[in-house]
Formats: sequence, C-alpha cells, structure tokens
Amino acid sequence: MQEQAFRFGRARHLVGIAGLPSPATPETVGVIVLNAGLVHRIGPFRLHVEMTRRLNAYGYPTLRFDLSTIGDSASSGESQTRKQQICADVGDAMNLLGEQAACKRFVLIGLCSGSQSAHMVACSDAKVAGAVFLDGYAYRTLGYHLRYYLPRMLDVKRWLGVLSRRHQATGNGEPTFTVAPLPQAVVRADFAGMLDRGLKLCLIYSGGISRYFNHARQFRECFGRVVSHPGVFTRFLKEADHTYILTGDRNRLLDSVERWLFDNFPVTTGGSP
Amino acid sequence: MNTRADADMPFYFGPDRTLFGLFHACGTPARKAVLLCPPLGQDLIRCHRLYRQLAQALAAEGVAALRFDYYGTGDSAGNSVDMDWQRCLADTAAAANELRTRSGIDRVFAFGARLGGSIALASAAQARFAGVVAWDPVLDGRAYVTRLDAMQSALCLDGQRFMVPRNAADAAAQWLGFAISDSFRQQVMDLHVDRPTVPTLLLDSLSSDAPQPWGSFVADAAAVKCVQPATPWNDPRRLEVAILSHPLIQAVTRHVQEAA
Repeated sequence: MQEQAFRFGRARHLVGIAGLPSPATPETVGVIVLNAGLVHRIGPFRLHVEMTRRLNAYGYPTLRFDLSTIGDSASSGESQTRKQQICADVGDAMNLLGEQAACKRFVLIGLCSGSQSAHMVACSDAKVAGAVFLDGYAYRTLGYHLRYYLPRMLDVKRWLGVLSRRHQATGNGEPTFTVAPLPQAVVRADFAGMLDRGLKLCLIYSGGISRYFNHARQFRECFGRVVSHPGVFTRFLKEADHTYILTGDRNRLLDSVERWLFDNFPVTTGGSP
Repeated sequence: MNTRADADMPFYFGPDRTLFGLFHACGTPARKAVLLCPPLGQDLIRCHRLYRQLAQALAAEGVAALRFDYYGTGDSAGNSVDMDWQRCLADTAAAANELRTRSGIDRVFAFGARLGGSIALASAAQARFAGVVAWDPVLDGRAYVTRLDAMQSALCLDGQRFMVPRNAADAAAQWLGFAISDSFRQQVMDLHVDRPTVPTLLLDSLSSDAPQPWGSFVADAAAVKCVQPATPWNDPRRLEVAILSHPLIQAVTRHVQEAA
C-alpha cells in the first residue's frame, strides 16, 4: 500500500498524508492523527508515521495532517477562534478521508495539545466514534501530592541536596507557552457527555507528565466514576517519557492503541487484526 | 484564500513513488531552482519550519524550491532503521531531477543543514548541482557519532524526561528518538566529504568556543560566512525545540540571488 499526499480543506490550505488500505468498508472507522504541539504531521520522533502505517497494515484508513498554520498547512484566511479553526480543520480531514476511504465514523488520536484538539472536536462532532487521548487533561489531586511529597519528606539525602542548592538559580529564564487547561469539572462533564453519545475513549498517560500526574489511580482521582464506564480504557505508562523517545516505549504505546482499536472498532473486512 | 499555499504542492515521486516532496513554485517563471536537502534524525524535525520559511522566501524571489524526505525519514516510505547513506545520495539526485522537471530549470543549487549539508556536498556531482550552500555541515563523522552516542547515553539519566532512570539497553541502537542500523552508524562514522568541486558557501553558526573544522575543507576563506546567533544543535535541553533563524534565511536567499 502506498500513502498519498493531499492538499485539501475549505481553502485548500491543509496538507496531509492518507494511508488507504483496500478493501475499505464504510463500517471501518477512519483514524485521524492530530499535531502534537508544533511538530509537523510526522509526530515526535516520527511517532505518527509509525502509528498510521501499523494501523494501515491492519486495514484502518488513516490520515495524519497539519492543522491550520502548523507544519505545511497555511491559514484558511477566515476570521475564527482557534477552537473554530480546529473543529473546521478536523471536519475537512474527516470529509477527505470519507471521500477517499468511504468511512463514515472516525477515531481521533492526539498527544498533548493534540489531545486537547481531539477533545474539542469529540465534544461536538457526531462523526467522531472514539478518541485516544495521549497525555491529555490531568489535574494534581490529593493522591498526587501525597505520592509526590511523602517520599521526598522522608528522604534525608534529598533534604541535604535541597539545602546545598538553595541559592542556585533554577530555570533558564526563557518564556514558555502553554494552553490553559479546561477546568476539571468541565472535562469530567465533557467525558460523561461523550460516553452518553456512545463514544469510546482511550486515555494513555506517560511518566513524562509527572509534574501533575504520577499514578494510574489518578485517572479516577481526576475524573471520578467516568473512568469505570465500560466505554473508557485507561493506561499509565510510567516508564515512558512524554514524547516516547525510546523505540521500545513507542512500540508499547502503539501496541496499546492497536489493541484498543481492535477491541472497540474491529475491521470488518480486509486487513488481519 | 491563500494563493501562495495553493502553489505548494505535496506529492510522492522517485523509485516506486516512495519519496515525499513538496514543490514551491513561483508566481512568475522560475529563474533559478534550489533543492533543500533536509538533515537527518531529530534535526529534520527541528528544522522543518525553517526549511518551509526558506522555501517560501526563495519562491517569493522567483526561485523554485523543492523540499523532500529521504527514504526512511519524514513522510517518505521506509522505517527509520532503513536509513542508508548511499540511498540518501541517490534520493538527492532523484529529487534534483524532479525539481528540474517541475521547474523547467536545469541549473539547480542545493542547500542543506548539518547532515543535509554533508549529503548536498557528497552528492554534488551525482545530482549535477550548480552550487551548494551548506549550513554547519558534518565533516567529521567519527566526532559526530561520538557526540550522538554521548547524548543518547545521557538521555537515559535525564530526570526531566523520565520518572525513573532507564537502562542502557533501552536506548541501544538509537540516536535521539530514531532507530539506526549498524551499517548506517558505520557509514556516518566513515563519513568523509571531499573538497567541493562546485561553488560552495559554508554558513557557520557553530558556537564560537567550538573548534571550527572548515579550515582544511575550504581553500577560499571567502566561502565561509558566519551566521549569528550560534545554533544550539547539541544542547540536550533543546532537543525538541524548533531551530529558527531569519539571518540564515536572508543569507541563503541573498547568496542564491547573487549566484551567477
């Protein structure tokens, strides 16, 4: 199977790469992978290329593409909020994959800010059947603080180290740009709404976000009973970093995503899951 | 509607249509053409934005440009572990011919950063380049491999990245996020770029406290131009930070415009 490159979208401003295995049936979901931060569509360390090609081998049509103004995509020229742009761009992506592979329902996959983009679209677009949130929304909880601070308070060596470094400057003074997260109650309600609409959700978080997430239990601490819903799968890959820089970690992540897709959105014909 | 964006067309080309390319046409008939040879590994991702900006700047000056990915990199076919030095040279020659076909210009210049610069220099005869602009090219493969190995080893102990330190085995046969084969590692180790046989401009943005390796490579000192500020190619804290440089884009664009 060869991948195909497309310029597409309402202003022909988006660039993406589609993997179109055959035969595809309308029942098979199309998988769309969103930008992680400002990294172009190949993903951190080519994660998105590996992911889409592995899914193509099992019969899933895929599209990895650049949102407006990221990677090789231009601005649409419209006057829109970023949220409106993202929803419209992903809508364009679903239209393209629908035209090329005949699929009618879609699974969105996003890492970090890509997870936030997937969340936005999954809240409102009826064509979204599922979403994979990689290092998505998370909040420090009481459990987080206990797991973080207790071992440190009891560690004498650490105290000595802190005292010796107390006068050293920290940080490099460079500005950081982050997106303000949605309030915890809003995300919890959004998840409940998605599940009511029949979406399947996969939350895989890494040890790379240990500044605010440090245990598998924290899924429940953050989102309550929602995570016990049969439509929700959670996994904490403690050993991995945020962008899966090691090939072994990347393979474990891709194994998890594949297994979740097979279980929830099996390929009806073609491929061999 | 952005007409400039419409002019930038993504496509696959080359042997079995395995290579990804993005052609930047100019609004007017092209006067010159430049092939942008990407670096490899994480440098490719870090430089993506800059390469796009450079291609757009060249196109705005009436210079057609082609960006592409070698086999096993970017959006091209193949896995990272399939990267091969000779294949990179052959892909560069194929991309140069693709640019000639699309632009209608036979006289093609090449630009490349780091290993992309080394590839542009090494493939100059095969790809029939009229000139090369190489930005901090890697000329000493052994030293480059040693530095990558050291950064890869340090990665395992990076407390900012991992909750718990990783074993060396977890990071084996990889360079900063990309699987590499023994043969590719040896090819880079053995890297030797002959003195250029075509007009060449070396753009130097290596740190001023690092030994400059250009002396024995370029006979004419005028062919070396310093670009400020220094580029943090080897700073592990900036491993996932994009490399941007407007002075670099200006220097390359001006050089291509002035080239005979």
